[in-house]
Amino acid sequence: MSDDGTGGPDGPDGGDPGEGSDAGVRGSVVGWLSRLARASAAERLFISGSALVLSVVIGFFIVLAAGRMTTCDTAAFALPPRVISLGPVSLGPFSWPASMGFCYDPINVYDRLFLGAFGNLAADPLNGQFATTLSETTILVFTGVAVAVAFKAGVFNIGGQGQLVVGALSTAVVVFAVAPLLSGVVGTLVLVPFGLAVGAVAGGLYGALPGALKAYADANEVITTIMLNFVATAVALYLTQDVFQDPDSFATQTRALPSYARFPSLVFPDRAGVSLLALALAVAVAVAVAYTLTRTSFGYDVRTSGLQPEAAEYGGVDAARTVVASMALSGALAGVGGAVYVLMVLGNFQTGVPDYGFDGITVSILAGNNPVGAVGAALLFGVLKSGSIVVDVGTNVPPQLVGVLRGLIVLFVAMPEFFRMVGRRVGDVAPERDRGAVATDGGERE
Amino acid sequence: MSAGFGSRVRERAGGAGLRLYLALGVVAALVALLAVLLVAPDSTAGQFAAVLFANSTFASALRLSVPIAFAALGGIFAEKSGVINIGLEGLLIIAAFAGIYAADLLGSPWLGLLGGVAASTLFALLFAVVCIEFRADQIIAGLAVWLIALGLAPFAAQVVYGSTNTPRVATFATLPTMGIPVVSEGVTAELLFGYALVDLPFFGALFSATPMVYVMFAAVVASWWTLNRTAFGRHVRASGENPKALDTAGVSVSRVRYAAVLLSGVLCGFGGAALSLSLGQFIGNGPTMVDGKGFIAIVAYLLGNYNAVGALLSTLLFAGLDALQLTLQARDVIQVPNSLVRTIPYVSVIVVLTLFGRTRTPDAAGDHYESGEE
Repeated sequence: MSDDGTGGPDGPDGGDPGEGSDAGVRGSVVGWLSRLARASAAERLFISGSALVLSVVIGFFIVLAAGRMTTCDTAAFALPPRVISLGPVSLGPFSWPASMGFCYDPINVYDRLFLGAFGNLAADPLNGQFATTLSETTILVFTGVAVAVAFKAGVFNIGGQGQLVVGALSTAVVVFAVAPLLSGVVGTLVLVPFGLAVGAVAGGLYGALPGALKAYADANEVITTIMLNFVATAVALYLTQDVFQDPDSFATQTRALPSYARFPSLVFPDRAGVSLLALALAVAVAVAVAYTLTRTSFGYDVRTSGLQPEAAEYGGVDAARTVVASMALSGALAGVGGAVYVLMVLGNFQTGVPDYGFDGITVSILAGNNPVGAVGAALLFGVLKSGSIVVDVGTNVPPQLVGVLRGLIVLFVAMPEFFRMVGRRVGDVAPERDRGAVATDGGERE
Repeated sequence: MSAGFGSRVRERAGGAGLRLYLALGVVAALVALLAVLLVAPDSTAGQFAAVLFANSTFASALRLSVPIAFAALGGIFAEKSGVINIGLEGLLIIAAFAGIYAADLLGSPWLGLLGGVAASTLFALLFAVVCIEFRADQIIAGLAVWLIALGLAPFAAQVVYGSTNTPRVATFATLPTMGIPVVSEGVTAELLFGYALVDLPFFGALFSATPMVYVMFAAVVASWWTLNRTAFGRHVRASGENPKALDTAGVSVSRVRYAAVLLSGVLCGFGGAALSLSLGQFIGNGPTMVDGKGFIAIVAYLLGNYNAVGALLSTLLFAGLDALQLTLQARDVIQVPNSLVRTIPYVSVIVVLTLFGRTRTPDAAGDHYESGEE
C-alpha cells in the first residue's frame, strides 16, 4: 500500500533498481530479494534498537509524570532544586526552587522490569520468575511468527488473539475427551502432539476465514480479524460457561487435563508451568518457517504476493490462494501457541486469556517480520511481560506500563524515517532510505 | 481499503445498487416486524418486534451511535485526505478517559468534553506527525495509536484513581431536564391527545436524549457541508484523490492532511468523551468501554461510502443492532445466551464488510505524498 515514494513508476523518486515489473523472471527476483534482505538487516536492527531505546526513554518520563499525578507520603525519587532563569524570564517548567519529588522511581521500575524477570539466576537458575519469562517467551514466539508469516504475504493478521483463543479452547476440550483412552508415557507421546495438531487446525481454520474474506470479497483483513477477536472471546466465554464448565470450580474454566496429557516440564519443577521442550519446539518452528519462506516455492509465492501482487500474479502465482494459505498458516501458528498455553501453562482452558496475540504483533514488527528474529524479540517481550508482574508486586507503578511501551515500540518501528533523519544529522549512519521499513505490504518491499 | 494486493480497488458500479438493496431490506424487515407487532403481539416475533420498537431501544441506539458516528466522521476526513486513520479506536479511548478526568478536575461535563477533545486532538497530532512528517506506514502507526491508548488510559486511571475504572462524575442532563427555556418545556408539554413529544411511541427518544445526540446530528450535517460545499472540503478530497494536482494548484498537501487528521482527532474527542460522560465513568479493563467502537466506525463509513449522512445511517444500523441485543439480554425474550448475543454487532460488521468490502477508496489513501520542492 504505502509507496513511500518508491512504489509506482511515476513515484516522485522512482528509478529504483528492479521496479518489479520484470518480476516474471523468477531467478533474478529471488536474487534481488535476498540481496535486499542482507542489505537492510543491519539497518533494521538499528531501527528496532533505536525504537526500543526511545520507547524506554519516553516510558521513563511517563513514569515520572505519573509519579507527579498520584499522591504518596514519601517521594520515591527526587530531583534536587534547580533554578534556571534567562535574565528576568524564569523558565517555568525547567526550574523548580525546592527539591521536586516523584512518587515513582523510574530507575527502580526499569530495574524490576528487566532484571526482575530473571529472578535470582545465580542462586536458583530454575526460579519461578525466570520460568514465567521462558513460558511467556515460548508462546510469544508462536504468535510473533504467526504475524510475521501473514505480513510476508502482505496480509496484516491482527487476529492472532482470536486464533490463539480458538486453538487453546479446542485443544483443552478435544484432548480432555480423548485423554481417558491413554495413559502414562504413551499418553504424553500421543496426546501432546495431538493437542498441538488440534490447536493448529482450529486456529488455522479461524485464520483462513478472514484470509478467504480478503482474497475473494476484498474485506479488509485488519477489520475482520479484529472483529473475529471479539467474536472468539465471546464465543469461548459462552462455550466455557455453558458447555464445558468444570462443575467443581467457581472460576470460568474447563476441566483439568490429566498430567500425562501435558507438556513434560523436564528441567523445571512441575508447577512452574514451563517446558524447555515447548521452547525448543517454538524455536524449531521459527526456523522451519524461515526456511519455508526463503527456500521453498510456497515461500517464494508468499513473499512475492506481499511485495508485488501484480507481478506475482503475472508470474503465475495464484494470489488469492496464497493469501488464504498464508492466513491459514498464520492462524495455525497462533493456534499452536494457544495449544501450548493450555498444555504447558494452564492444564485447562480459562477465560481471560492474556494479550499474546497483540504482543505477537509487536514481536513481529520489532523483528522486522523475520521469523528467526522473532525468537529474540519474543524473549525481550517475555522479559517485559514477566517483569511487569515483578513491577506490579514490587513497586506501586501500575503494570499497564508495559502496554504503553508495547504501543510506543510499534509506533517507533513504524517510522524508520525518523531515525534516518536523526542518523543523517548525527552522521552517515543510515545511507539507504526506505529500506527495512515495516509495512503492511510484506515488510521487505522496494 | 489498503494493504497488499487487496488494495487493487475495483470500481464497482454495483456497490450503489447493493447499498440500495440493503436499505430496502432493512426497511422491509422493519415494516414486517411492525405488522407482526400489531397482528400477533404475543408471538415470539411479536415480542421481538416489541423490543425493537420500544422507546428505550431507540434511546439506547441513539446513545450508542454517538461515539461511532463521531469516529466515523473523523475517519471520513482523514481517509478522504489520504491518511487512513485506523487509530480511531485509540483516540476514542484516550478521549473517554480524559473526558472523565477533566470533568472530575473541573467539575462540569462540558469542561470534561473539552478535555477529552484536547487529549484526542493531541494524540491525532502525534499520529499526523508520524505519518506525514516521518512517513510511517499508516496502518501500523494507527495500530500503535490504538495500542498506546489501550495501555495509557488504564495506566492513567490506575495512577490517578487506584483502579482501571474511575469513580463516577456528573453526567449530561437530558433535553427535558436541561432547563433550556421553551425547548425543555416544549418537549414535555402535552400537545395532541394528551401526548407530549417525549411520550411519542419510538420517536419520543429523539426528544429526551442527551445534548451529545443533538451535537452528533449537527456534526453530521456540518461534516457533509464542509466536505462537499467548501474549499477546504475540495482540498481534502483532492489531497486523497490526486495530491499532485492539489500541489500543482499551489495548496500544500501535507497542510491539508494535517488539518484533516487533526479534525478526525477533534471529532473522536467528542465521541469518546460523550461515551464516558454519558455513563459518568471510564471503564478501563479488557478492551476498555470503547470495546471496538472505533473499528465499527471504520466499517460504518465504508458502508456509508465516505458520505457523512450515509455513515450516520450505517452507524444507526450497527448501534441499533447493539441496542437490540442489550434489550434482548435485559428482557430475556429469546433463549440465546448473552455472550452469543453480544457478538451480533461484530458479526454484522464482518458480513457488511464482506458484502461492501470493495468500496472505492480515495486513490492516494495510504500513500505518502512528497512534494518535489524539498
